[in-house]
Parts: sequence; structure tokens; C-alpha cells
Amino acid sequence: MRVVGLFALVVLGVPAWPAEATDFANRLDPPSGRHLLGTDQLGRDVLARVLGGIRWTVGLGLVAVVASLVVGLVVGLGTGWLDGTRARVVATLVQSVVDLVVALPALLVGLLVAAVLGPGVVPAVIALAVMGWAPFARLAHRLTVAARAEDWVLAARSLGAGPVWILRVHVLPAIAGPVREAFTARFVGAVLTLAGLSFLGLGVQPPTPEWGAMLAEGRTYAFVAPWLVVAPAAAVVLVSGLMSSARRPRRRPWPAAWARPRRSRGSSTRSRG
Amino acid sequence: MRALAPVVLVLALLLSACGGGAPSADGDGTVAVALQFPPRAGYAFDADDGGLLTKLGVAEPLVALDPQGNAVPGLATSWTQDGTSWRFTLRDGVTFHDGARLDANAVVTALTHVLGRPAPPRAITDIGLQVAAEGPMTVRATTTVPDPVLPLRLSSGATSILSPAAYGTGQQPSPVNTATGPLRMTEIRGSEGATLMRFDGYRGERARAARVDVRYVIDPQTRELALRAGDVGFAEGLPETSRAGLAADPSVTFSEFPSARTILLQLNQSAPPFADVRVRKAVTAALDRNVLANQVLGGSALPASDLFGPAVPYGSTQAPPPADVPGAQALLAQAGHGPQNPLRVRLWTFPNRPELPVLAQAIASQLQAAGVATDITIGEYDAQEPEVLAGRYDMFLNSRSYLSDYPDAASTLTSDYTSGGSYAIDGYRSPAFDALVGQLGTVTDTAARARIYRQAAGMLVTDAVGVPIVHPRNTAAEKGVTGFVPDPLDLRPVLPVLAPAG
Amino acid sequence: MTLPVAALALRRLLLVPLVLLAASAVVFGLPRLLGGNVTRSVIRSRSLASAPDPAAEARLAAELGLDRPLRDQYLAWLAGALRGDLGRSFTTRAPVAPQVLGAAGVSATLAVLALAVALAVGLPAGVSAADRPGRVADRAVDRVGSVALAVPEFVIGPALVLVLAVWAGWLPALGWGTADRAVLPVLTLALFPAALAARLVRAETRVALAHPSTVTAVAKGLSRRRVLAVHVLPRSLTAVLAEAGPFLAGTLGGAVVVEVVFDVPGLGRTLAEAIGSRDLPTIQAGVVVVLGVAMLLTLAAELASRALDPRLR
Repeated sequence: MRVVGLFALVVLGVPAWPAEATDFANRLDPPSGRHLLGTDQLGRDVLARVLGGIRWTVGLGLVAVVASLVVGLVVGLGTGWLDGTRARVVATLVQSVVDLVVALPALLVGLLVAAVLGPGVVPAVIALAVMGWAPFARLAHRLTVAARAEDWVLAARSLGAGPVWILRVHVLPAIAGPVREAFTARFVGAVLTLAGLSFLGLGVQPPTPEWGAMLAEGRTYAFVAPWLVVAPAAAVVLVSGLMSSARRPRRRPWPAAWARPRRSRGSSTRSRG
Repeated sequence: MRALAPVVLVLALLLSACGGGAPSADGDGTVAVALQFPPRAGYAFDADDGGLLTKLGVAEPLVALDPQGNAVPGLATSWTQDGTSWRFTLRDGVTFHDGARLDANAVVTALTHVLGRPAPPRAITDIGLQVAAEGPMTVRATTTVPDPVLPLRLSSGATSILSPAAYGTGQQPSPVNTATGPLRMTEIRGSEGATLMRFDGYRGERARAARVDVRYVIDPQTRELALRAGDVGFAEGLPETSRAGLAADPSVTFSEFPSARTILLQLNQSAPPFADVRVRKAVTAALDRNVLANQVLGGSALPASDLFGPAVPYGSTQAPPPADVPGAQALLAQAGHGPQNPLRVRLWTFPNRPELPVLAQAIASQLQAAGVATDITIGEYDAQEPEVLAGRYDMFLNSRSYLSDYPDAASTLTSDYTSGGSYAIDGYRSPAFDALVGQLGTVTDTAARARIYRQAAGMLVTDAVGVPIVHPRNTAAEKGVTGFVPDPLDLRPVLPVLAPAG
Repeated sequence: MTLPVAALALRRLLLVPLVLLAASAVVFGLPRLLGGNVTRSVIRSRSLASAPDPAAEARLAAELGLDRPLRDQYLAWLAGALRGDLGRSFTTRAPVAPQVLGAAGVSATLAVLALAVALAVGLPAGVSAADRPGRVADRAVDRVGSVALAVPEFVIGPALVLVLAVWAGWLPALGWGTADRAVLPVLTLALFPAALAARLVRAETRVALAHPSTVTAVAKGLSRRRVLAVHVLPRSLTAVLAEAGPFLAGTLGGAVVVEVVFDVPGLGRTLAEAIGSRDLPTIQAGVVVVLGVAMLLTLAAELASRALDPRLR
């Protein structure tokens, strides 16, 4: 799976890159043969920093977003599936908590985590997960409620299928598409939040390269040295592209009854796999 | 994007219906400015906002400052000292923006109010200041011990005088239509901005613009873009990287000038390894401050050779020595740190000033060349301060103004470097230094005080009390506006001299 | 499931104050867990270079009521809040309620406009991308969407200003309050949700296109446009509507970057500054407002879903 590929990338982001070597005399050099992606405000090679940042950004971001996803899915599927008055009260309460978490300013959450757990990489991931699970829970809840009403789910229930089986076989596949898209988007969001958290003492500290921090630091130089922003942003795009390489429909999804002559062209413009 | 067009249009109409309150189009003689520091406390005098009001040209204290930072007549025309007591004679014929007359009672009301706040302004706290009216136009100010610089203290914007109508409302006194300066504040838009109009009844040189629209814009890049787009005609505190572009732009007048601020690498002397002066000297020798200022910060700061920079007459203008890595290694070896026992220290700083994290990394890189490993932590200042004050740190990269609210460095020297000072982060304890700074309590003469400042700064260098790294420079740019006069002290009025060009 | 929409709305509306009351302890307690010395932070935020002064801090603590037991502080605050008095700011000493509500109004306008723009772009793009895989819209959702998702607001915002305000001179660079000033912040803020909406709708539309009801509608001979609008689109909005509430709630108190870059006097900036200076009354008021609005938005989104999606009725 792609996730495996991503983890391989994390491992591949070898620490051997000279990502921390400074050269003040050659700061903000544009891309050239010597520095393929130019140099940053301290004369460090941007390419080396992008490569060196893989394991931190992809690693931390992925762990945080996967943790958010798992918690959010469990909560969302659970509250979306359960029926009955008591279950609905629980679901309403849980959704109220989701409202609270979604609305709390990230700065407040970050500072709280920093105050309670102290600085470091693990607290940063925890802060991200604390903020990240709620939108997934909301999304999964809604999608589950919608899927539960489908005929095939009703049919499975009336045939006596257990809830876990139904959730796994009928509901999860039905909601997977949107959840996957949300996952990709949240990963990107997590990278940027990570940059903000590092300013609170949470997460990776300089000079260790990390894409979010590179973006945040590069902001000041965006007009004179755009490569400082473009390089890490492009790296984020590439990784999120890897993640969202969702299975594309091989054919046009319209019911066959609607097949029109255009179909022949449709088959030639098939999406990348 | 076709789908977008109608939506934007509809939204635009909706918004213009419910909008309003926007500054009107530039009429004759209007200047729009983007300032970097918004009022912190709704223009309270027991906050930095007093200084802001002076800078705006709205409120005035008893004593004004000349460009060198000497006390000159303001709302008071003369003053005399008699031991612990000073007598200030007020200027005749001064009217407040609301029409009231300046007299001794007005001054006493204003100063008594600010002295009664829970945390009075630094300039007048801890000296036992009391004020009383001695005649209709004479005010007597007393302190517990003779104070040589009371007039300078009373040049602080925090001691500005508002009309009596501003006080006794039970609310915080408002500067709207109640001050005495060349510009009259007519409207406050929270911490977003304010509207100032020329005060035609001003006694001295009138404001050159009929109206000044003040915007507080906290982001440097936004200030620059607002200036370049023509939203404002004057902006201060521009991004480091834009300096070259702005200086080259023929439509922009760009100014760069020193500020009374030092970025310091503070070293914890109360614990190893920096209790050992050799290690402190090694760190000093390992750093190349010229490179840090000219290359790492792109020339937006001047390399610092001691605490005081070119913003003040007694500041050093010499370049600091270049790095001496072998010397640093030798000192470290004497202190017992070598390849076998490498020195590893923590370096803390905070991100509120964006140059600090950059400098921290550059410093770590230079120290590494001398064999010192550094672990950087960037965190929140509020979380760091108690730790550094308690001496639980190694190195702290700090940014510190050496003048407070008035042009005198005695209070900073006392709080930061004397034994038991309230901000003595370095943990420097030197009876000789304490005695030297103690002399400032009795010396009135400006030149004599300056000599003491030079001597004190020299002692700090000799004893390697922290490393002064750079003195940041201030910037300002005008486009379609003329008249700006740089003020390195950052204490004098700025806006009254701005005028629309042409 | 058979609950009438009006009854559901009423029941949930009644719940809002109860949940807010329950959350008030959280709202009151959280900022106090930030640690550090609140009075020192407040003094420093008012007077940046001030050195620590325990005596002044004690006087200030007494003035702000911070020397009283926590329970008393909470009860006093709660009693005030129930009367609509959310206290005075520690830093400006001005009542916080008007300030926070004003800022919330600005942020709410910004958030709603951004969402409207995002939906106006994202929905058609998503449906069209799913309808014709591999064609222009589909590829745009992939590529333009990736960029929109990945490039942070603090880069897009200044870039838009540079192009549209500085070079072209069409729009003002900063500010708020008029239509032309709103365009750039709204566009900047709309980029991320537009890309996300397009992708969510595309994913759901793919499923909806294969749904039996679509087959039936096609078999009945309805026009393609009508099938898409009446049968497919309502089934494709579940995820978007589920994300809309959190987006609005999060933007209300969290659009700090856009508000700073465009100098918009919104709640995100107000809250960020209050958190930095430990201005507890402003933090508390801001979180209460954000929380209340978030619950109302969630409810609105849920009602909208029920009205649109046949499966939820």
C-alpha cells in the first residue's frame, strides 16, 4: 500500500544529508548547479533540508494524522451506528465535545499541551492528535448515519449480520473515499500546524530540518528567495499526492444505460492508476 | 473561475451594505501611516501606550527631549532641584484639545492618577515620587532620595498630562480630545487604528498634515505591501529582506537608523559551565558578530561590541573583534573542555522577534566550529522567563532595550546587571560594578553620567557578562509623504512632521 | 429518525445553553492551566520591557481579583456571564463582551464568505470531476487542489496582495469593512476549503453515480443535468456538510494568519493576542462565543443535511 511506501520514504530520508551545514557567505543563493534548490537564510542547502526533513515531517505528521484518524473513526462509526434513545444522547454529547475541540484555538491547545507535558516531539504529536481527531469523528459520524440508511445495509441487518461485520463490509467501503480525501488534506494541515507548534517549543527544534518550520521560516524571504517556500511546499504536495492516489474508476461511472458515443474517448483519457 | 464572479459580486454588495467605518478617501493634507506597535492597553499611561501617544504627537509630558536625548522645555518651561524636591514651572497659555487650560492642578491630577496604578510606569516607579501644586503654575515633585534625572523621567510619555476632564470618570482616562499635542485624537478604532486631526490651537510648530490616519499593522510584510500598494504613505519597521528593494525604489524614501536595543547572548554565571569566566570568554571569542550582523541578518543590524550602540552618544561605534577560534579553543582547554570532554550547552530563545531564531542557529553553528555543541530550544518567553531568572539555564538569546521609557540607561544597568537586580538574568555579581552604577544616583551632569555608562559597559565586556551580539536597526519608508525625521531613541514625536508630498 | 426537523432543532437549541454551562468550567479552567505567572504576563503585555516586580504583581492580582480562591473567581465569572457581563480585559480594562462580539462578527463574515466561495467553486468542480474521470475538471481537482491544500495562507495571501494590489492596483492591500477590502482575505481563506470540498464531493459523487437510484433516474430518461442536480448531488454533500461546521467554527476563532496578513480585526487575532498576554477574560469570552456559535453551526449543518439528503430523513 501507499502508506507502506510512505513509511519507506521516512526511512529513506536518511540522516546523512548535510542539512545543518551553514555557509553564511552564500545565504539566499538561487538554485544553481551547486545547490539544486538554492540556499536558505543561513546558507544551508535547501535540497538537503527537504530530504533531511522527510522523516520528521512525514513521520510526525503521519503518526499524528493516523492517530487522529483512528480515534475519529472509532468515535464517528460508533456514534453514527448506535441507535436508540440512550445511544443518541451519548452521540449528542460526543458531538458537543467535538464542537468544543474543533472550536478551540490551536494556539491555546498547543500552549496547554506545552504547559502540561513540556516541550518535545511526543507532546507535539499529542497536541496534533488532540486537535485532529474531532473533524474525523464528525465526518465519520455523518457518513455512517447516511450509509446506515442504505438498502443494502438494511438488507444485511435483516439477514442477521453483526454490527462489526456490517461496519467493515458495508459501511467502511462506502465512506472510505471522502475519509481518504480528508486524511490527505488533514496531513497537509498537520504539517503547517507542526510549524506553529515548533514556535511554542513543541516538536522539532532548529536546526533540525522540518518542512513546516522551513515554510514558516521561509515566509519572511518569500519575495526575495521564493525557493525557500516553493521547495518545502512542493514536497508536501508530492507526499500528499502519494497518499491520495486513490483508486480511480476505470470507466466512466454512469450507468451503462446512459452510455453515449463519447465513451470511446472516455476510455482513452483514463486516469493515472 | 466563472462560477466565482457572480458570487463575489453578490457578496461584495452584501458587504458594502453592512460595511462602513472605513477611512475616507484622501482629502487635502491627509497622511495615512502604518505603525508597528498597536496600543497595548487602550492608551493607558501605566503601559507602553504613553510613549505611543507621545510618538503620535498627541500627548505631551512636562519635559520634552532634543534629538540627543537632553531634557528641554515641554509643558514645563523650567525646573530647579533642591535636594529631594524639584520645582517645575508650567508653560503659560497651553490649552488642552477640549479647551481647558493647563495649570498645576491639572498636572497633579494626571500624575497622581498614574502613580496610583497597581504597576506604575517604570520611569517613575520605586523613587517615592509625590507631586503637589505649589502655585497656580508651579508643581513641586518630591522623591525619597535625591534623584538626579527626574526631568528625564518626566519626559516619559507615561507621564503625559491630559485634561482634568479625562480623569475622575471611573474609567481609564481617554486621550480623545483631551491632550495638548500638535495632533488631536478624534477617534479610536480599538487596536486597529486612530484618527488624528491637526490641533489649530497648538502653541508651537503646527502639525504639517491636516489629518493623520493611523493604522496599526503588526505584520512587517503587510506594512510593506500596504506602502507599496499606496494604502499608506508612511510605514515603519519594514522586513529585513525588503530593505534593498525599498532603498532602490525611486518613489520611496527609505530611512534606516540605529535603535537603542541590543540582542544579547546571556550566559548563566550562577552555575557551570559559565560560572568560569574562561568559558564565557571562549564563547565570546568563538562568535563573529560582524558576520552575524552583516551576513546572517543581511546588514539589518549593526555588530555590537558592547551593551550600548550608536543610538546614544555614549554608545560604542567600534566594530567588535573578529572570531578567534583557536583562542576560544585554548580558553576552553584551560577550563577543562577539549575533544575528550566537549562542552555541550542549551541555548534558549523565543520567536516573537523573528531574527532571534535565525541568530540562535547561526550562533550554534559558530560555536560548533570551536567545539561547543548547542541544543536550541525555541519556546514561549513567558515560560522561559522564570527559569532564566532563577538561573536554571545555560544560554539565553534575548532582545533588550537599554533605555526604558526615558533616555537614561541607569535603570537598565541596575535591574539587569547589579547584584540582586530584578532582571539580573546573567547572575553577574561584582561589588565594583555595583559601586560604579551606584554613583549614578548622585551624578547629574550628562557628560559624567555618560562616562560612567562607558565604564560600566567596559566592565561588562571585561568580565564577559554575556555577549552583546548586534544592535538591530529601525527602518521607515515614505511614499507620497515627506518630512520623516529618524529618532534613534524612539521617544520623540514622529507624526506631526509628516506631510503629504507635492 | 422520524423526528420532525422542527422538534429536533428545538431540542438541540435547548441543549446549547446546557452544554455551554457544562463547558464553562472548561472555558474557565483551561486558560488557567497555561501555567506561568498571569499577573507578570499581563504587566509585560502592557509594558514590554518591565522587569519583574512582585509588589506590583500582588497589587495587580488584587485589582484583577486573581488573589481570590479559584472557586470564587469561577462563580463570580459565571454569575456575570449569565447576566451577559463577561468581565473586563486584563490588559485594556475595557469590557470584553462588545470587543469579542465585534471581532466575532468580523470573523464570522469572513468565514461565511469564504465558505460560500469555496462551495461555489468546490461543488461544481467535484461533481464534474467525478462525472468525467480523467478530464480537465478531474485533473484540476488533483493538481490545482494539491497546491491549494499545500501552500500555506501566509504565502498565498501576500502573493495575492503583491499581484492584485501592488502590481495591478485593483484592490487595497489590507483592512476590512468594505467590499473591496474583503476580496483578498476571503479568496485566501477559501482556497483550502474549496480544494477539500471538491475532493470530498468527487469522492461521494463517484459512489452516488453508481447508486441504484441514479440508475433508476437514468432509466426514466431524465436529462443528465437533472439527474446530477436532483439525484446525485444531494447524496454527495454529506461529507462537505459535515466538514462545513468544523471549518466555520475553526475559522471563527482560528483564522489568525489571514487576519494578521490582511490586518483584519477578527476574533482569531484577538484570541491569539489575549492568549499571549494571558488576558483571561478575553480568552474566556472568546471561547464561549466560538463554542456557542460552533454548536449552532453544527445544528444548522445537520438540519441542512437532513433537508437535502433523502437517507437522513
